[in-house]
Amino acid sequence: MTVLAETRDVTMRFGEFTAVDCVSIAVSAGEVVGLLGANGAGKTTVIRLLLGLVRPSHGRVSLFGAAPSMSTRRRLGYVPQTLGLYDDLTVEENWTFTASAFGTAHLAVPPSIGTTRNQLVGTLPLGVQRRVAFAVAFSHEPELLVLDEPTSGVGPLNRARLWQDIRGSAEHGTGVLVTTHNMEEAEQCDRLVVMAGGRVVAQGTVAAVIGDRQVVEVSCKGWQQAFSILDAEGLVVQVHGDALRVPASREDVERLLERHGLRGDVRTVPANLEEAFVSIVSAGAAR
Amino acid sequence: MTWGVENATVVFGARTALANVSLRAVPSTVSIVVGGDGAGKSTLLRALVGLVRLTSGIGQRPAKQEIGYVPATAGLYVDLTVDENVAFSAAAYGLRGPELAKRSKALLERIGIAGVRGRLVGQLSGGMQRKLAVGMALLHRPAMLVLDEPTTGVDPVSRAELWRLIAGAAAEGSAVVVATTYVDEAHRASAVVLLEQGRSIATGSPSDIMAAVPGAFGVVASGEQPQGLSWRWGTTWRVWAPTRELPTGATPLQPDFEDAVMIAALADEQQRWADDGAR
Amino acid sequence: MRAMIVKEFRQLKRDRRTLALLIVLPVLLLVVFGYAARFDVSKVTTVVVGPDAATVARDLPAPFDVVEIDPAGDRSQAASRIQDGSAVVGVVTGGTQIVALLDGTQLFAVQAAESTLARMAQETRTVGSATPPVSVQILYNPNLTTAWIMIPGLTGLILLFIGTLITSLGIVRERQTGTIEQLAVMPFKPWDVIFGKIIPYLLLAALDLVAIVVIGMVLFGVPFVGNVATFAVGALLFLLVTLGMGVLVSTVSQNQGQAIQLAIMFVVPQILLSGLIFPVSSMAGGVQWIAYVLPLKYFIDISRGVMLKATPLTALWGPLVVLAGMAVVVLGLAVLRFRRDLAPSARREGAAAEPGVPEAAA
Repeated sequence: MTVLAETRDVTMRFGEFTAVDCVSIAVSAGEVVGLLGANGAGKTTVIRLLLGLVRPSHGRVSLFGAAPSMSTRRRLGYVPQTLGLYDDLTVEENWTFTASAFGTAHLAVPPSIGTTRNQLVGTLPLGVQRRVAFAVAFSHEPELLVLDEPTSGVGPLNRARLWQDIRGSAEHGTGVLVTTHNMEEAEQCDRLVVMAGGRVVAQGTVAAVIGDRQVVEVSCKGWQQAFSILDAEGLVVQVHGDALRVPASREDVERLLERHGLRGDVRTVPANLEEAFVSIVSAGAAR
Repeated sequence: MTWGVENATVVFGARTALANVSLRAVPSTVSIVVGGDGAGKSTLLRALVGLVRLTSGIGQRPAKQEIGYVPATAGLYVDLTVDENVAFSAAAYGLRGPELAKRSKALLERIGIAGVRGRLVGQLSGGMQRKLAVGMALLHRPAMLVLDEPTTGVDPVSRAELWRLIAGAAAEGSAVVVATTYVDEAHRASAVVLLEQGRSIATGSPSDIMAAVPGAFGVVASGEQPQGLSWRWGTTWRVWAPTRELPTGATPLQPDFEDAVMIAALADEQQRWADDGAR
Repeated sequence: MRAMIVKEFRQLKRDRRTLALLIVLPVLLLVVFGYAARFDVSKVTTVVVGPDAATVARDLPAPFDVVEIDPAGDRSQAASRIQDGSAVVGVVTGGTQIVALLDGTQLFAVQAAESTLARMAQETRTVGSATPPVSVQILYNPNLTTAWIMIPGLTGLILLFIGTLITSLGIVRERQTGTIEQLAVMPFKPWDVIFGKIIPYLLLAALDLVAIVVIGMVLFGVPFVGNVATFAVGALLFLLVTLGMGVLVSTVSQNQGQAIQLAIMFVVPQILLSGLIFPVSSMAGGVQWIAYVLPLKYFIDISRGVMLKATPLTALWGPLVVLAGMAVVVLGLAVLRFRRDLAPSARREGAAAEPGVPEAAA
């Protein structure tokens, strides 16, 4: 698979502040890569480096085999979180504007959004707006797509449809880089890159990132009491329906509950992606 | 006491924001309202706290003193410090003196901003701001805590901490109602309401909703889109056959919660198209 | 580039507030500079008192516009007419010479009167008529200092800015951050919120007012000869009007940009057409009525009257009543609309679109 964009040991410093520290990631043709990380972890800076909007303090950034430049812009599609659409123009007018900029004005509005062509973008529901933004970014058939939180705020149907569009473009040969906070969305990516504090702290498939991490699941009558006990010990307890999930050892949890006279079913279960993420990032921060 | 709304309908001019939606806020539990943008989540929550009058239906809520509410835009004063924001909220709810000092100190420490009490809220990160807003809402131990999209756009670590705060409020006895667009968060609730265009298309506990999926459900490895109602998941296709058999090549699968939500949304869409066609 | 131009035009044609500004502003400026911006005075309201009143009145040419002839009256009557503003010139006959009392606060009227009187004196000398010489006395602003006229008007301008522009921005900011929703759910009564928001601006404006007056007095020697209480009442009423306007603007604006646009459309006409710069009496008849609907005009009457002429309360009840009426209407409307934001209503359009992804601080 051709590598479309990559950073090699890239570091970015703004004065005293190191936004990105020795980061190496790559996006190849036909794959969907998910970039996961807290705000301030360096995701935005990495994207700006890849797009060629800033130059790294150290390391190398290559886009389509060369340093990022104006000519590579045409081969790139980018959808920011704020969509980059004009609310007070219709779908068709937005399409025409972007198409003129890329020289593809002769193309017709694609069928996925065709029914809305004469509506003002500002009046459309967010899910449809995001599909329009995607279609507009994809209009000039870029080889690399960068999408910032593409389905944030969108309902299940439109989210599924948008991911259908994204997956479709990947099968077309496009490389897609997606940033997200949404676990459900992260699970749809081929590969994940997890960032924290400007560094890459984990890379690989979802299963690889979770690894063999485990949490303890507690089911007992009246979760509220168990919660208060475990929470008071400073454990990050999560409630799921009537059960509790806590990143600790089974023995510790059983001991704590017994000390307060509580009885319940305590089991060790595999962690989910979110729990794995929290554990990875906290470990990174502790370093 | 039962709080919540029953058969609530809210109409704004020509637009029906909510149609016949019921939601109960039960003490010591967390109820979650799931839906995309425009589904009516904010309207439902606003109706719950009394910001919006019901066109029809019944609503019951505790006195203003007993309610904690955080709107989707967080409702913090960005040009005031953390301490000043807390002071304002405390004064409004009648919290004073040593009780206030003790509780606010404990809360701020828990959120992790005890060290930046003098910083302007506008200079805190998004995750911190949300945690502060939620913390302030439960400072006065409200009987009903209503949070509109508290975790949208927040990083996973802050999100986990937020949910810990929220669960803590329920453990202390509050009736908590949370709106979210993240379907996977709905696992955390004991009661879920799924909204689509102002209507509730699924209600109950997560396990109830999963069990209520009719028909057959399966997965098809990558390839062409299979016949019938299907959607993409990663590189595979999930397919749902409400009344027929699964198409050939599909492996039967137990639907998880996300699948159940997708199926409910699809069923609703099919119904709407049928209704539109019949007209 | 062409695509950019086309796009801008498409967006502009849908932006009603900017279009309104594009159209209203030139029209306004045309009206102002075509019809209102005049310094020449065509009519100078005059009263003539004293035994020779009738004769003298007949001899007075334009621009003197004699509105009253009182043979039994004397200098004090004429002076009080000037003090309460019902006349600009008072001609006192029956002494060794005719005395013309001029209202020093009406700069341009006085200049017109003086030049006419000088012309008359000239003609008398050349032609040789029986009219005795006229002695001119300028009351209240003997040196015709412009600062003395402008500063009382400036106080009104300050109150206008703070009341309308700054108040509306303060409230709209809350709307933008969503804190108004919070306020509506907190155990506040709507009155707590409304007055809690207005009172700081009221106090600030009062402080500014005192500062400007004191600076005017100390630095420019502007007198303050009238009743402070009258001035305070006038200022308070005017402030209530402008604050009400500020709250009203905030209830129809979703963001600070919109608020500023609306506030400008309310403030700029008052600067130009209320008599602050160009005298109302000089405005062409067809547009003079505009001044009478602008609150600033009435406050300028009050502030100039009280500061420079010690005009008594009884003479100022007209402008005070008008201001009071405006305050009741504007503030009443504003409070009604603002209450709707703070109390439940099924007709709220504020929830027209679901909030999308709220901005997370970077």
